[in-house]
Amino acid sequence: MFRTALLRSARQAVRAAPRCQAPIARPVARSSLFQTKQITPSLRFQAVRCYSASAGPSKDEVVGRIMDLLKNFDKASFPEWLRIHLANCSQVTDPSKLNAESHFHNDLGLDSLDTVEVVMAIEEEFSIEIPDKEADAIHSVKQAVDYILAQPDGKKRPFIFSSGK
Amino acid sequence: MASMNPALRYRVIRVYKEMLFMGREYPQGYDYFKTRLHKAFDSQKHLTDESQIMKGIERAEFVKKEIEALYFLKRYRTLRHRYDAF
Repeated sequence: MFRTALLRSARQAVRAAPRCQAPIARPVARSSLFQTKQITPSLRFQAVRCYSASAGPSKDEVVGRIMDLLKNFDKASFPEWLRIHLANCSQVTDPSKLNAESHFHNDLGLDSLDTVEVVMAIEEEFSIEIPDKEADAIHSVKQAVDYILAQPDGKKRPFIFSSGK
Repeated sequence: MASMNPALRYRVIRVYKEMLFMGREYPQGYDYFKTRLHKAFDSQKHLTDESQIMKGIERAEFVKKEIEALYFLKRYRTLRHRYDAF
């Protein structure tokens, strides 16, 4: 069974390869043609697998991306005065407190305006739009992760790397 | 803040968000703008009276228009400068 499938796909690849290489019919190009024959099957299979796959980012990936985002938020775009203010408070925002269960206000010391900014950053990272009511209900990393995972729209999007802001 | 009218709370948050989006092209940089904006909103957090909050929102809308005007002026000046260089 497996062998016949392999043979069939190989035959298809052989048929497909000359089609795209048709203009170059010189004997010199023969070696390159041979190489493409080797490469095309894997590429084709990859493409098929990508389109048929229904799996979006896994939970770990979502958690990791949100954590990276928060780390960056803390480092790059956190106003200095706010960090000093937070350091004076009993609730210190140190990266060690940041984990998958962190509460934005209780653990990280972010106020409601900061939370709005974090939610905006999450919206951008996952290229989704969170309605006001849901956005207001997100108070912790866990809630954000749950929301993203429950979102059919956000799951299927490919990973787009956004730098910093 | 949690005890206040949720509709007003959403309005404040929306204005804050809109202004953050506008601030991305602020001439002195996004961080500069964000710090100021945060401070401005933070300084009004003691407001509990609804009419006072409404006034604050109106003020925010006014500032939004000012920023818009600033952007238009900046663009006008840049274009003007390019057309007749003096």
